[in-house]
Amino acid sequence: MALTSALRPPASAPEAVSTLRRHVNLTLELAWTQFKLKYTGSVLGYFWSLLKPLMLFSILFAIFVVLFKQRTNEFALQLLVGVVVFTFFTDATGVAMSSIAGAGHLIRKAYFPRAILVVASTITALLTMMINLTLIVVVATPLGHLHFGLYSAVLPLLLVELYALALGFAFLLSSLFVFYRDLGHIWEIVTQVLFYASAIVYPVVAVPERFRGLFFINPLAQVVEDVRHAIVISVVPWTADYVGVRILVPLGITAIVLVAGLLVFRRLTPVFAEYL
Amino acid sequence: MSAAISVQGVTKRFRIPLDRGATLKYRLTHPRSTAKYQDFLALDDVSFDVPHGQFLGIVGRNGSGKSTLLKIMSRIYIPTHGSIVLDGRVSPFLELGVGFNPELTARENVLLNGAVLGLGRRELRRRMDEMIHFAELEQFVNTKLKNFSSGMQVRLAFTVAIQAEAAILLMDEVLAVGDARFQAKCFDVFNRYKREGRTIVLVTHDLAAVDLYCDSAIFLEHGRVIGEGQPSDVTARYRRMVADEQEADAIASGETGYSDKAESTEARWGNGDVRIASVRLENAQHEEHTNFEADAPMTIAVELEARRDVTDLVVGIGIHRADGAVIGGTNTHIGRAVLPPLAQGDRLRVSYSMNRLPLLAGAYRLTIAAHPSVHSVTYDHLEQAVSFRVTDDSGRTGLFDLGGGWVVSSEQRAGAVA
Repeated sequence: MALTSALRPPASAPEAVSTLRRHVNLTLELAWTQFKLKYTGSVLGYFWSLLKPLMLFSILFAIFVVLFKQRTNEFALQLLVGVVVFTFFTDATGVAMSSIAGAGHLIRKAYFPRAILVVASTITALLTMMINLTLIVVVATPLGHLHFGLYSAVLPLLLVELYALALGFAFLLSSLFVFYRDLGHIWEIVTQVLFYASAIVYPVVAVPERFRGLFFINPLAQVVEDVRHAIVISVVPWTADYVGVRILVPLGITAIVLVAGLLVFRRLTPVFAEYL
Repeated sequence: MSAAISVQGVTKRFRIPLDRGATLKYRLTHPRSTAKYQDFLALDDVSFDVPHGQFLGIVGRNGSGKSTLLKIMSRIYIPTHGSIVLDGRVSPFLELGVGFNPELTARENVLLNGAVLGLGRRELRRRMDEMIHFAELEQFVNTKLKNFSSGMQVRLAFTVAIQAEAAILLMDEVLAVGDARFQAKCFDVFNRYKREGRTIVLVTHDLAAVDLYCDSAIFLEHGRVIGEGQPSDVTARYRRMVADEQEADAIASGETGYSDKAESTEARWGNGDVRIASVRLENAQHEEHTNFEADAPMTIAVELEARRDVTDLVVGIGIHRADGAVIGGTNTHIGRAVLPPLAQGDRLRVSYSMNRLPLLAGAYRLTIAAHPSVHSVTYDHLEQAVSFRVTDDSGRTGLFDLGGGWVVSSEQRAGAVA
């Protein structure tokens, strides 16, 4: 496609700021609308977002803690944290996947940066996770099950990493889904595999030592494990022999996913309107 | 004057996949297949400029590329070749009610759509009452949109759309929505935009609006610009083309007889006993024109053709303002003109001549009707079928010349007389 279009005169600095403000405003407005629409008509409304991970947790708790007597290092709480983090990942990527394909009318008839739709669709899931984590802290701390220390300060960074990973997949999935609708089913299978590959229902110690390097290539496994280390069990998450594999590799992969997502999205954006 | 919009050699080619192959299975089982495409040239080397503060009308039939052109100007589509330079912020909406959600209330929809327009929440809250008042929806602010009538929805949509602070507005069929009273408000908004010096591109089938509001117009056909210039000239050409085609269609389909229903449209009705064959607006030299000077002579020449024997015939004319209001009308009966009885197949020419056109600058439309003296049936009625434009630089205001003359008489003091 020969494109010589100079579509926009160079924006002056204040104009760029006001443009950014308009885009942030639109993102929040869209996120807020999705949030409202998701729960209109349901009696329990927002509580469903809290109940769903709680139910999953209860089932897993019954199986692994009650039935299989898995009791190491506050395993119940580890399980809950893992479920909350993982639920965010599936929610955010799942909703974001159809954020472009499902907004055909808007995309064909109005112009604004398409990325806003993708980002807005991940915000509800992000909020839900924040509230869930806060609830865990508020409820579990007085019971003496959580352990905080200086190392807990790493939690926000881990959440940034998690969000970057989810956003990378969100951009990738949402743009490809416009052209390949099979992706919906494929992604369902992938998240199922990820659920079992991310040590959510079993402690990492159950993974044989020699596979552990391979295991932590998965950024989701690393984030889940480190979030647990940061607030549930007072073990410094990154022992010296792990630094290379355990932190740099998943961080690198997260960065690759995010950059790849952005590049693919930017590449495909111009043809969204024609395909939808 | 610099251009607000400069379109240079824009070409848009759509590749329409014959087999979409939108599943992975297809891609995997046909790894080598370069999916078959059919190329469709929606726009072919289109160029034009719109100076700042000017209104441009784009006319053309469905599928002529009007909407594609608008979408390229708004950056929704990327041109295959060519460039577009826009000097100023462009309103993001092309149509009314884009992104309206039926599950949200009027207020919530305003906030969401306002955000797409680039307005902040605080600004929208400040304008909310005024907007709801303009849309005449005071009692329905917190009603979900799905419970709105279509008229209410369109009023709300128009109200939101005009909040755009953009210097360049691109509009696809957003004119004249709602009932007559609300339409008047819409036209007020357009007049305000004009005063504010905004640049507007209108895509519409409402040719009278193009005549009235646009400073220039372009005529698209099969993705090419086949006419541009004065709105009245461009719309006249478009009307003529459509009329010629209808006539050609009628001849091609061997439609020689008359059926009442087939000929009835919203703008034309009648039993067809007498058919208005043509209407011409002529100047003093009997040349056909659509542009007239105020005070110049104008003749409305009507050609009629009898499809049956008719003994009782009256021909009437009515002149409308661009918004449809009638500002003058008469007929042969009132004017004591006697029309001869017609036998089937007879043709008759009736003309109404004004030595001095009393209309002032603006766009007008003409209605022609043929009916018996007791107007119980209609032979043929062409509602607002012919548009014309009047130009005047004398400075008189309003629609028509008042026709009076000034008399000044002064009473001078006796002492001042020499």
